[in-house]
Amino acid sequence: MRKSYLTVALLVAGLFTLSSTQAQEPIRIGDISPFTGPLAQPASEFAAGHELAADVINARGGVLGRKVVVIRGDAGNPQQGISAVEKLVNQDKVDLFMGTYGSALANAASDAALRYNKFYWETASLAQELTERGLPNFARGGPNAAIYAESSVKSALEVIAPKLGKKADQLKVWIEHEESVYGTSIAQMQKKLFETAGVKVVGVGAHNFRAIDLNDAILRARGATPDIWVLTGYVPDSTLLLRTMRDQGYVPPAILMLGTGDGREFQQALGGFMDGIFVVNYPHEDVVPRFAPGAAAFMEAYRKKYGREPSSPYLVLVGYTSTMILFDVIASAGGTDVDKMRAAVAAIDKPPYTYANGYGAKFDAKMQNTRAFTNLTQWQKGRSVTVYPNEMAAPGVVLVNIPRK
Amino acid sequence: MDALTNVLVSGLLLGGIYALVSVGLNLIFGVVRIVNFAQGELIMVAMYATYFCFTVFGLHPYVAVFLVMPAMFLFGVVMQRLLLEPLRGEPLMQIFATFGLLMLLQNVVLALTRGEGMSLNLGDSASVITLLGIKASSARVVIFAASALIVGTLTLFLQFTLAGKAVRAVIQDQDAARLMGINVERTFLLVVGVGAALAGVAGSLLAPIYTLSPYIGANFIMPAFAVVVLGGLGSVTGAYIGGIAVGLVEALAGYYIDPALKQAIWFAIFIAVLVIRPSGLMGKAGAEEIGLSDHH
Repeated sequence: MRKSYLTVALLVAGLFTLSSTQAQEPIRIGDISPFTGPLAQPASEFAAGHELAADVINARGGVLGRKVVVIRGDAGNPQQGISAVEKLVNQDKVDLFMGTYGSALANAASDAALRYNKFYWETASLAQELTERGLPNFARGGPNAAIYAESSVKSALEVIAPKLGKKADQLKVWIEHEESVYGTSIAQMQKKLFETAGVKVVGVGAHNFRAIDLNDAILRARGATPDIWVLTGYVPDSTLLLRTMRDQGYVPPAILMLGTGDGREFQQALGGFMDGIFVVNYPHEDVVPRFAPGAAAFMEAYRKKYGREPSSPYLVLVGYTSTMILFDVIASAGGTDVDKMRAAVAAIDKPPYTYANGYGAKFDAKMQNTRAFTNLTQWQKGRSVTVYPNEMAAPGVVLVNIPRK
Repeated sequence: MDALTNVLVSGLLLGGIYALVSVGLNLIFGVVRIVNFAQGELIMVAMYATYFCFTVFGLHPYVAVFLVMPAMFLFGVVMQRLLLEPLRGEPLMQIFATFGLLMLLQNVVLALTRGEGMSLNLGDSASVITLLGIKASSARVVIFAASALIVGTLTLFLQFTLAGKAVRAVIQDQDAARLMGINVERTFLLVVGVGAALAGVAGSLLAPIYTLSPYIGANFIMPAFAVVVLGGLGSVTGAYIGGIAVGLVEALAGYYIDPALKQAIWFAIFIAVLVIRPSGLMGKAGAEEIGLSDHH
């Protein structure tokens, strides 16, 4: 008799627990990126942004009353990406995916995610192809390569050229890029945009980002005497190119870097040489609060959680921003079902400057956020300062060292 | 003409880097008959150690090298004693073991540094020398001089000292050397120690030039393999000449043909040498059969 009472009591208790667990079932997100390997550092910065966003939203009660849990999946190449997706679905029971520092990896992982009918939210990878291929489960919250390329050409024409006293048809540019699909695709877009504007592209140089000597790249560029030397690359090749430029005594009138060049490591490597160098990249935390409403609070949250300054705050910030957009999408979709999320992505309409780094949210038919953008910064006295668009720059900011001395 | 001089100087200096990086690899290759896949990571560890000495103790890399070099020698001795010696007679396993060491070192350094790109900044002023109207980074000139000095010293050591003769004997024929009363195991310890110490020197001298990352070792070791094959396994002067040659070819190809193709070009040389003259320019014939013969 007692045994059966006990059994019933246990059953009832179990049912209660089950139902309450259902209501509080967390939203599990698999975060796929190369957390070990040469890209570990920027990959971790993005992930830190994702996780900070999860902390913030959980403090507010979660999304749809459910806690958000981000589970990292390390993947160094597309094959590992597929394995990571499988593991995160089967073992960790994730509801959806996010990522990913590396377009080839994003491509494979999102494809794998589709087979499990899970959404894939991209915060980092830039390749056009990722949204152009029209995968039904893939959306990109941040900018893409075209936005980068357009922004760099616009900066060159509207900010740099006037300071050099040149009109578009008098301007000469050298486009240097790392030779993988990342650098090549951006360089090709830049070349087209420059030439359409009447600018003379005096040369396009490709190099391997692992090269231990890049003297030839500098010698070739120097021979072509460009007004603006434009570079798309990663950290090791960019620092080596700038050092070589310094050692060779080559002083182009202006240097414009894209996607890299505004991090702490450049200041450490080159010191005062960086002054005057322009960088096109995600919005920085120094953008005036009206256009980046959450940036200051976000920096505080980072410092509190990790006890140090982020080495690339703009990466963490854009990861954070993009994830907050994702949470709004999930909330409006009422869950993580792929079709409902597609509809929510199509419907969302948040004006520019809604989110922490200034992004808004409005997605085109290919699920690319059209209200994600890049800004122009310039190194000034050891600090990376936002200079363009003008309204986003702090009051009183002027350009320095142009033409370069 | 000015461009050509510039390219030649740049090629020579690059060759100095390649020679410095290859000498240690070649020595281990030629004597112990294994490919030390972790050689690049030994260089990387030495670079970080130099960075540490600079940022924490304020030691200039050219001073820190005298601390890093003996520390790396010890590391090499330990590596031979604990990792390679127990696997003697199984050369493929030894190769895998060095690969395992490569991954271990990369990931330990990644964990310690979070993968942030770190750089030594010695300041702009002392960094450039002007030779014959050509500007050259002084760090590279130092490396060029150091590699010549090291190769010269090593050659003298191998030629005129008893220990050096023992090493040469082991390169020629391990069994015969043993029969002559040479302690082959002790020679291995010495050689791997010296090979690691040379990686230490390379790391200290290279640290001012590059942004450090846990994966930078691979960038140096890939051309080093081509150099070692070109110059001849087991030949120290061969490694030097091979390094200079590869540096010059790369600089000329990069400027006059296409920077994107320059690595493909010395890989093509690498393959051609393997096919035409496997022992390399100055290698001892038979040395190319690394550990795949019955020599123990």
